[in-house]
Amino acid sequence: MAATYDLTPNLIPYLDRHLVFPLLEFLSMRKIYPEIDLLKAKYELLAKTNMVDFISILYKTIHDTEEVPSEFTTKRNEVLQNLENLQTEAQRVLDLIENPEVIAALRQDKLQNLNFLKEKYGLTDEMVNSLYQFGQFQYNCGNYEGASDMLYHFRVLSTDHELNISALWGKLASDILDSNWEAALEEVHKLKEIIDQRNFASPLHQLQQRTWFIHWSIFVFFNHPKGRDNIIDLFLSPSYINTIQTACPWILRYLTTAVVTNKRRKNILKDLVKIIQQESYEYRDPITEFIESLYVKFDFEGAQRKLKECEEVLSNDFFLVATLQEFVENARHLISETYCRIHLKIDISGLSQTLNLDQEAGEKWIVNLIRDTRVDAKIDFKENTVIMNQNHTSIYQQVIERTKGLSFRSQVLASTIEKH
Amino acid sequence: MSRFFRAKPASGIAAKSRFLKDVSDSEESDSDEKREVKSAKDKKLDALELSVKTIENAKKINEWVAIQNGNAKPLGTFGIPRIYIKTIASLEDFLNESLQKEKEAKKKMNATQAKALNSMKNKIKKIIRQFEDEVGKWRQNPILTEDEEIEDDEDLGEFVKSTKKSSIKKNNELYATEFNDEEGFEQVGKGNKPIEYTSENLFKKLREIMEARGKKNTDRLEQIKILQKLLGVAATPYQKIRVLLALIPAQFDYNPSMSNYMNVDMWKNTQEEIKQLLTILETNPHFIIREYVEEEVEDKEPVIESGQTFGIRGSIVSFIDRLDDEFIKSLQNIDPHTTDYVDRLKDETELYATIVRGQIHFEKNELNESTSRVVMRRLEHLYYKPDQVIQTVENTVNLLYPSGVSSSITPSEITQDSSVLIRALCVYLYKNGESLLRTRAMLCHIYHHALHNRFYTARDMLLMSHLQDNIQLSDVGTQILHNRTMVQVGLCAFREGMIKESQSCLQEICGTGRVKELLAQGLQIQKYSQLPPEQEKLDRQRQLPFHMHINLELLECAYLTCSMLLEIPAMAAAGSNPEARKKVISKPFRRMLDYNERQVFSGPPENTRDHIMGAAKALAAGEWQKCQELIGAIKIWDLMPETQKIKEMLNRKIQEEGLRTYLFTYSSYYTTFGLEQLSTMFSLPLNTVTSIVSKMIWNEELAASLDQINNVVVLHRVEPTKVQQLSLMFAEKAFSFVEANERTLEQKQLSGQNQRDQQRQKGQSNQQQNTEKRTTYQKRDGQQQRGRNNFNNVLGNSVRGRTQQNRYRS
Repeated sequence: MAATYDLTPNLIPYLDRHLVFPLLEFLSMRKIYPEIDLLKAKYELLAKTNMVDFISILYKTIHDTEEVPSEFTTKRNEVLQNLENLQTEAQRVLDLIENPEVIAALRQDKLQNLNFLKEKYGLTDEMVNSLYQFGQFQYNCGNYEGASDMLYHFRVLSTDHELNISALWGKLASDILDSNWEAALEEVHKLKEIIDQRNFASPLHQLQQRTWFIHWSIFVFFNHPKGRDNIIDLFLSPSYINTIQTACPWILRYLTTAVVTNKRRKNILKDLVKIIQQESYEYRDPITEFIESLYVKFDFEGAQRKLKECEEVLSNDFFLVATLQEFVENARHLISETYCRIHLKIDISGLSQTLNLDQEAGEKWIVNLIRDTRVDAKIDFKENTVIMNQNHTSIYQQVIERTKGLSFRSQVLASTIEKH
Repeated sequence: MSRFFRAKPASGIAAKSRFLKDVSDSEESDSDEKREVKSAKDKKLDALELSVKTIENAKKINEWVAIQNGNAKPLGTFGIPRIYIKTIASLEDFLNESLQKEKEAKKKMNATQAKALNSMKNKIKKIIRQFEDEVGKWRQNPILTEDEEIEDDEDLGEFVKSTKKSSIKKNNELYATEFNDEEGFEQVGKGNKPIEYTSENLFKKLREIMEARGKKNTDRLEQIKILQKLLGVAATPYQKIRVLLALIPAQFDYNPSMSNYMNVDMWKNTQEEIKQLLTILETNPHFIIREYVEEEVEDKEPVIESGQTFGIRGSIVSFIDRLDDEFIKSLQNIDPHTTDYVDRLKDETELYATIVRGQIHFEKNELNESTSRVVMRRLEHLYYKPDQVIQTVENTVNLLYPSGVSSSITPSEITQDSSVLIRALCVYLYKNGESLLRTRAMLCHIYHHALHNRFYTARDMLLMSHLQDNIQLSDVGTQILHNRTMVQVGLCAFREGMIKESQSCLQEICGTGRVKELLAQGLQIQKYSQLPPEQEKLDRQRQLPFHMHINLELLECAYLTCSMLLEIPAMAAAGSNPEARKKVISKPFRRMLDYNERQVFSGPPENTRDHIMGAAKALAAGEWQKCQELIGAIKIWDLMPETQKIKEMLNRKIQEEGLRTYLFTYSSYYTTFGLEQLSTMFSLPLNTVTSIVSKMIWNEELAASLDQINNVVVLHRVEPTKVQQLSLMFAEKAFSFVEANERTLEQKQLSGQNQRDQQRQKGQSNQQQNTEKRTTYQKRDGQQQRGRNNFNNVLGNSVRGRTQQNRYRS
């Protein structure tokens, strides 16, 4: 079951090699797939990067030998050679920038800065680009912090639009891999702006960019403390929800989890339910099914069953494993809230069963619920039931409600007419 | 009157020869020459013939003045031709007859006519006396063949003999021409010389025909025959191609009227010829027919170097298009309930094979535009057909051309599976076609998906392509295709049990009451406005052939059933609340229901509508079993695939909607409902009942809550008393009154504001515009902006927009 609901195969095509690595690491930890397959996958994944030492270790474990093909050694030497060359080139620029005089002279305007540097210090475009290359090389070697740094400098200096964007992607990846979430969140916002503003040649291209962006941003959103608010805002905005519906419906799992675990954004649930219902023919997993059985079918037992499955799925998801507890808690909240709204009298034992709690814990839970959500309800201890107090507005009240402001408004009207 | 007719054949000859002399353009120069050598007597004879003719004509219409004038002339000095005698005799008979008639019916003729008649009577008497012998002779032996007459003429007198001869000769000559005309004109040319068609003078003849084409007096049939002869003698492939390129359009041109269809035999000939043309081109790959070629040497056999291609001007794709159009036209005109129609329909396979062959040919020669046109034709032959038919046709086509000819767009492996085939064709058009073809291909693709019950795919394609936004800008044919597609998507949703979706798809088409017209399946009789005849003609041309029709009764049945399932609970929910009652889901359904309810006696249901109306009433009354029975009794369901499954689905829906209706209707009269009782009443499982009730409570449709302990629904709804209801209404009205007041004041202020205020206002509105622009811009970027979220709305909106614009556009 864990394998059927594993989204890693869906996600991989939209991620960078380096970003895939943590996912594979996580999978080998959970032991869903055979170890050797994962090792091979890792090897394939990294074979094209410059992390030669790591690759050779992987090679050894896969083939169970101490021997390493000679190509590794040559490649290692090449990489080191390259690294040195690029470093010296980049260093020249770095020295230049770090010069306090230069720093003092720099202003807001990029173009002006560049011209200034070119005139005074003989900076050339190639030199600036070498920063980019060095950053990319370092990233390929797995030195993410350095890469992030280089790309930052590059972005400050360069005016090349295309390279700037790819530097931004690179920096985002570096920050993610470096677990620098604050910086990553910033990059996410920048990148979003660029993608939304730019005029793409074909809508398809834009769609692709958005899809990539959505996948990358999950890393940030589920790790940054404020991420889960952002993910709801971003993914539910019309253009992104369309992207999700068209290109990657599996993202609904993350969106749903984010909505469920977010206590303050309950009003969004209705929209989400609609989307889940619409996409149900294309994508379903226990998490969306949980929502469906709770809000479409009103099948509380089914929801309960799905909740159990959800626990399993969430614990095997790289992004969501941290939210497991929160999710279960909030899901229970949702169930009981809906339950209370529909029912007049509830059997406590029945409810606690529905919530997957024992009798006593169930009672405690309900008391907490009544206190927290201010549900108008009382517990009848003798019959072991909860009684909801329905408050429906009488017609008398309705009429008052409707006509409340009318006389005031008319007065205002009359006075304005008099004035003129 | 027998005399009158008897007289005719003799004079007819003279008339005929005259006619030929005067009218036939081709003979004009000849007769002009002849006239010059005519003798005086001959001229008189001619004049005589003319007046005989006049008299004959005048007789027919009882025009005595003309007869009198005509008769005055021939009394010349020289001999009496036989024809003259004959005319006089017949005239006498006619005169007597007329006098007889005149006596019987008085005051029929006007004064001049009567006068002319009288004077004629006298004149004829005189003349008869003069030629008594001759007339008597003629009367004894009135039936004469033409030769006899001529002999007679010769016998008449020696003095006319020499002049007669030339006239006879001339007559004979003309007869010869005429005779040959009937037998086959091609052998005799202008100068009476026989013409031979050989491959040497082929190009010259071809050019002559090409020049004559489209001119006023060209005989089209003749031209076709000449061309066919030419095709027979054409020796080289090049000659054949050239002749075929002239012959095929000539055959298409044969029928000039737009409304008539091409003769079936001729159509088949043409098809054979197109096939022949394709065969020649396939075996001689160095010839290519293109629409644009550099100036070519027309009348010589081209010299082709090996490895080079030679372009010939022409357009095969237009031939195929035309052939297809003619085929459709013939189907439009043949009565679909006859065997003729079926026979004609059998030709489609051949036609389809030609299309496929054309496609392969164009593909090989990389004529992209032609390829996409022909691919579109192919698609239009396929999209509405069920799988088995497509498969059979494809197999036949494969058998017809087994030898190595295969297409890269549609290799023979994929033609087995209709969906894959259609996908391949559509994808080709999406990539290579122009925008109209893309739109049509998309619609056909959606139609095909819908036909195969792939509702979601069809819906997503429909919405993501944004077809509905600008379909009103396209031509009528495409709009009809769009309407067809919408209807098919609706039916697909119905089969899948998605009642709401189905209703919203069908609403716009079925709600108009002009279904026939919108689907081009017959002309709707307009009640109040008469259509201009051109419009009607155009409409007629757009009609789809019968075998493409979507069954309208089934469509109506599905639509009304959907409407019933949605409308009846909604009506029950509205209850006595007048505001809610005004919200109508399906107008036609309401109208029919109202009409049905007004009937004093309602007999047993006879047609589909009656059944559904009966079912609706039963459902409203909570008798779901009767409702199921009535719906199940509708015969038309048998036309849907998997009838049983659809009926089961409907039964289930009826139970559910019955429960909802029941709850809505009776909620104010009960304080509690037992869940189990409800479950037995509607024979639904308990948890379904609970789920339905819960849903209604959650959506605030039903003021109630569940009591888990006693397993009952507790109802809170209280029906408002009359006073309460009125006060609610009063409050509502007061509210809208204040609103209206405020709005009026606002407008007044706007118009009467001072300068500064106006400017400020302007600034605000500008700002507003800016923000609006920004939002629209945001909406536009990215293809999938609108997405599928507001499916129902989207469907409604776009179609509604069309209703207003043009009568065809809904």
